Amino acid sequence: MSGALDLSPGVPAARRPGPSLGGDPLLAGLVGLVLATALALVLLQPAPYLVNLVGQLAAFAILAVSLDLVWGYLGILSLGHGLFFAIGGYVCAMHLLAHAYAVTGTPPDLMQFMGWKSLPVYWTGLTSAPYALALALGLTAAVAFVFGLASFRSRVNGVYFSIISQALVYVAMLLMFRNDTGLGGNNGMTGFSRLFGWPMGAPGVVTGLAVATLLCLAAVLVGARVLVASPLGRRMLACRDDEARLRTLGYGTTRLKLGIWCLSAVIAALAGLLYVPQVGIINPRVLSPDLSIEIAVWVAIGGLGRLGGAVIGAVAVNALKFWLSAAMPEAWPFILSGLVLVVVLGLPNGLLDLAALRLKPTWLRRAGSRP
Amino acid sequence: MAEGPGRFGLVALLLWAASLVASPALAAGAPLDRGAFTTALCGDGAVQGTAVEGILHASAEAESGDVAWAGTVLRALLERRLTCLGGSALLLDRAGAADGRDAATGAVRPVAGGRAPVLGLRQRALAETASGAASLLTGSGVAARRAGLATLERRITSVPEALLLRAASAETDPGLKVSLAALAQSAALSSADPARRLGAIRAVSESPSGAAFSRLSALKADPAYGSDPAFRGTLDAALARVARAVSIGDGLAVLYNGLSFASILFMAAAGLAIIFGLMGVINLAQGEFIMIGAYATYGVQEAFRRLAPPAWLDAYLLAAIPVAFLAAAGVGIAIEALILRHLYRRPLMSLLATWAVSLLLINGVRVAVGSQNLQFAMPPYVSGGVPLYADFVVTWNRLFAIAFAAVTLVLTLVILKRTPLGLDIRAVTQNRDMAACLGIRTRRVDRLAFGFGSGLAGLAGVALCPIYSVNPGMGATFIVDSFMVVVLGGVGTVVGTLVAALGIGGANVLIEPLYGAVAAKVIVLAGIILFLQRRPEGLFAVRRRR
Repeated sequence: MSGALDLSPGVPAARRPGPSLGGDPLLAGLVGLVLATALALVLLQPAPYLVNLVGQLAAFAILAVSLDLVWGYLGILSLGHGLFFAIGGYVCAMHLLAHAYAVTGTPPDLMQFMGWKSLPVYWTGLTSAPYALALALGLTAAVAFVFGLASFRSRVNGVYFSIISQALVYVAMLLMFRNDTGLGGNNGMTGFSRLFGWPMGAPGVVTGLAVATLLCLAAVLVGARVLVASPLGRRMLACRDDEARLRTLGYGTTRLKLGIWCLSAVIAALAGLLYVPQVGIINPRVLSPDLSIEIAVWVAIGGLGRLGGAVIGAVAVNALKFWLSAAMPEAWPFILSGLVLVVVLGLPNGLLDLAALRLKPTWLRRAGSRP
Repeated sequence: MAEGPGRFGLVALLLWAASLVASPALAAGAPLDRGAFTTALCGDGAVQGTAVEGILHASAEAESGDVAWAGTVLRALLERRLTCLGGSALLLDRAGAADGRDAATGAVRPVAGGRAPVLGLRQRALAETASGAASLLTGSGVAARRAGLATLERRITSVPEALLLRAASAETDPGLKVSLAALAQSAALSSADPARRLGAIRAVSESPSGAAFSRLSALKADPAYGSDPAFRGTLDAALARVARAVSIGDGLAVLYNGLSFASILFMAAAGLAIIFGLMGVINLAQGEFIMIGAYATYGVQEAFRRLAPPAWLDAYLLAAIPVAFLAAAGVGIAIEALILRHLYRRPLMSLLATWAVSLLLINGVRVAVGSQNLQFAMPPYVSGGVPLYADFVVTWNRLFAIAFAAVTLVLTLVILKRTPLGLDIRAVTQNRDMAACLGIRTRRVDRLAFGFGSGLAGLAGVALCPIYSVNPGMGATFIVDSFMVVVLGGVGTVVGTLVAALGIGGANVLIEPLYGAVAAKVIVLAGIILFLQRRPEGLFAVRRRR
């Protein structure tokens, strides 16, 4: 942290982004690691449980990167990113159910539960994967656009934006808990049996999903890196550090924020889309405000404002969660809250601060503080 | 009453009690032919039915001794303790006993060779009604008479009005008298006499309620509704009148519930707004401070149970008020000193920190106390209520919350406007740097204000104990709504918080009956986002520099 006038949300002083991946060796290393993991999954064929776990972690990493893009680089903390994740997840689940119904002829549970003879009208066309993909991303972009426009236009920002986005995801959760939405109500949707015609549990499908998620993660990382290293990315940082000054200099910030916000939402939806077939269920608990805050926690723990930090945070926290919530479920909330407090109080840049302390050679350390 | 051995001693007791209770009018009427009645009970279904129906109608006139006797016989019949032997009937002490007493003479005889009469469904219903009528007229205790009344109520159409009038005039218990009058009124509604019926309809519409409305609308199915224009006109007018009164009463009830919900919201959000206005910190743990207040109340209750004389127990809720305030304020000050103090320049990180604190508090309480709902003893001043108009009842527990919030509002305003601390809080809220230059110890003000705001949430915890369920996760129910109150009201203003709490609480309960709870939340959120388009600073923005 720099001087007393620093109002930014615990973000490291602006780094001068390099022109390419070479400017961020941490990220380049991570992308390499992600690709190597994908290759290893294909070649070594580990246990399906492990493959599935890697796939889920990769989906969470994509989600964390999407939040880091708006929080770390634009200074907008969304406590409602679970909404976009859930839109992707729900549309994916609808596609899987509609597809399995079309292939196998067995009606999905939710039809039997509600006593319907056929699926509601808004399920039309969801048997087609391209349409489902377009719907998931398009719907997410539309929701993000409307909410973002309403907020950024009236210059709702900072903590205000955070709690309104939290209310948004909370309301969405209440909505999805209703059974008459035709989306599974509080039971959610599960029992996906087919993916592109293949049976869901087959090892090839599990590996395929995990590898696809890893590849998406690599692509998202590279794309995000290109974005933040571009002139647009510099404008994002400027907007984060002093929006009023940027406006005074003649740059419109509303359109910038809105564009990045929608992009981030779409990436979050992509993560949901990839996550649901791997975990095999989606229900309204995805929309609980706590989960959305947890995404922010991953980013904060990993290192805010660094794409690699988001990935490290998401993977570290979730791996720990997978392990601990099985080994000692009572202790997990205490460990999580302790972790947050330690990071927030002691390590403003998350785990990356630890790395910056000793492990990194001087030439890799970040340039000095902001003037 | 009619259970257990020694029933025949009871007959004498009943007679004696009835003579005490009964007015002189009760003694009128021809004496009952007891022998013929028991013989009829031993007959076939049709004979049984006629006899029981006869006794039911006769109860309105018959001598109370006969009524009590018939009640005893009918109860025995219903409990299969009546055995027919030859021309007479024997009453048994319990089903299957070897000996019984002759119903008419009281002589003890063996039951061998006897036959227990079987009751058809219709006859059983009639017998229950008639025995209920007997208990109502001659029961020795209020409980017995009330039970009899309950039996009659189930088949009110078969009960003669005269019987109810007789019971009402003889009744000594005021509560039972009121229920009897209501029942007599509804019996009059199905009376054969048209004038009496119209009078009953008017009388029912005098005291409107949801029950009165459904009772009156049931009359629309009556043939007279189609044939008799006078009946039709009176009924329609009465229905319209009752419907109007009921909707007004329901409207009042909705407003009342909205007001009490808004009161809790106000207490939760006032602290939030003060803290946010002062420090720019959104306290996600505010809901948990409410929980701490509620748990402190529980602790005070338990302490009273163990340490204080039982007569004092009712006072625990009042004693809990300062305790809850101090408990929540203490936790708040500790959190401020340990954590938030370091994060004032990083509001988004302080958001995450308070979330971590809330997680810690919820799970700490869950481990320490358990996650079940806490049980509270409700003192008389927060249980029950006063029926005010139609179905609208002013319940004391909600009135407690409303009054509590009103007092809190006044105290908060006094503290903010009239005390040195309030002056400091307002100064730091408006311009922190300038206040610091003028020698105000801003950090100390922050800490005290944070404690004060947390304490207000603790008070909300006391106020909601009598209304909502108390468990470790309870804070989450209020937190999103109280954030919306702060956003809508504007930061750092108590008046804005009040108006916004009333608006959001009111909107929630107004929309809920129309479109459901979820739609209410959706509409309120959409409304707030739209409102922020016009006034991003909220309703009452404090001018300030930060």
